[in-house]
Amino acid sequence: MKPKMPVFVVLALCLGSTVALAADQAGFDKAYEAAVAAQQKAASVSGEWRDTAKMLKEAKKKAEEGDFEGAIKLAKKAEHQGHRGYEQMTSQAGKVGLDPFLQ
Amino acid sequence: MISRKVLAWSASLLLVGLVANAGAESLDADVSPKKDLEAIQKFFTEKFPEIAWEDFANGTYALNKAWYENWLLIEEFPPYEIAIGNGEEMWNTPFANGKAYADCFGEPGVQHHYPRWDKEQGQVVTLALAINQCREAHGEEPLKYKKGPIVDILAYMAYESRGQIVNVVVPEDDPGALEAYKKGREFYFTRRGQLNFACAHCHFSMAGRTLRTEPLSPALGQATGWPVYRSKWGATGTLHRRYTGCNKQVRAKPFEAQGEEYRNLEYFHTHMSNGLPLNGPAARK
Repeated sequence: MKPKMPVFVVLALCLGSTVALAADQAGFDKAYEAAVAAQQKAASVSGEWRDTAKMLKEAKKKAEEGDFEGAIKLAKKAEHQGHRGYEQMTSQAGKVGLDPFLQ
Repeated sequence: MISRKVLAWSASLLLVGLVANAGAESLDADVSPKKDLEAIQKFFTEKFPEIAWEDFANGTYALNKAWYENWLLIEEFPPYEIAIGNGEEMWNTPFANGKAYADCFGEPGVQHHYPRWDKEQGQVVTLALAINQCREAHGEEPLKYKKGPIVDILAYMAYESRGQIVNVVVPEDDPGALEAYKKGREFYFTRRGQLNFACAHCHFSMAGRTLRTEPLSPALGQATGWPVYRSKWGATGTLHRRYTGCNKQVRAKPFEAQGEEYRNLEYFHTHMSNGLPLNGPAARK
């Protein structure tokens, strides 16, 4: 039997994301705040990625120029990087060592 | 009905999983610098049996005859020579208070004493850090750590240290030293950045292979020749500048040069080359 979930879930997610963050200053502020929090979380475990700060800077610039859609997109990318960087470090804590590299 | 073959496979997989898991849990629990040294040097000497021991200090140039010969041509007119000359002048020029580097180090050829664990300071002291500590103790401004005059004085001291043997010590009577070593070790084997690479991914199993056109050097011997004139930089730079570049290449945010992370990394990284001759400054692509 084919699963029916994906179409419903995808529609809900698309609707949710557009509703949650309108392409205006308030929407950008919210996205930017979430991105900075994720960046700081990654930095707290030395897991910040190279381009996150640059993305945030560019996002801010775009918002200042009135391109809120582009600004939010970049802020979300930066937030994603922050979460992945944090997970990357915490998932390895205490689990790295020499032996696997000697194979 | 489950066949014997399937049962055997399942049992094997379970066993492999248990062994792997057990390994994961104990990876950092019982770290011994001595055992690491033996294991790492055994790994590389067996991986590259054709390379003479001392030649590991020549990095990728020890791996390929054509690369080696090109490098020898570069060494005929060493591009780091200007840095050595500038550094010698710095060494011989007194500070404003009349003292000089010799008052801190005695002689310039002391690179084989670094990086070292300083019990009083409770931290790893690299030669670059010691140079700035010397300067500050005599009322001079500290130098920036990636390029410029720090490279000159390091180049002169490295040149005067040529032929000395790397001998990084992790004192057993000081848990702080082992902790710093373990932190450097953990850094080296931790995946980081958007590309999800650890230092070891390129410089252990992949050593000797090429990344696009560039050969990957073995970790063993990487720390013997600094500072290095890199053709890519068009200048001579420090080891921590290179660490910065490596981190950027895997799209991780780099750490501060001579910050705790990179000093601990240098401690572990240099320790694995114990027994090799120092041959800095060097030229690399």
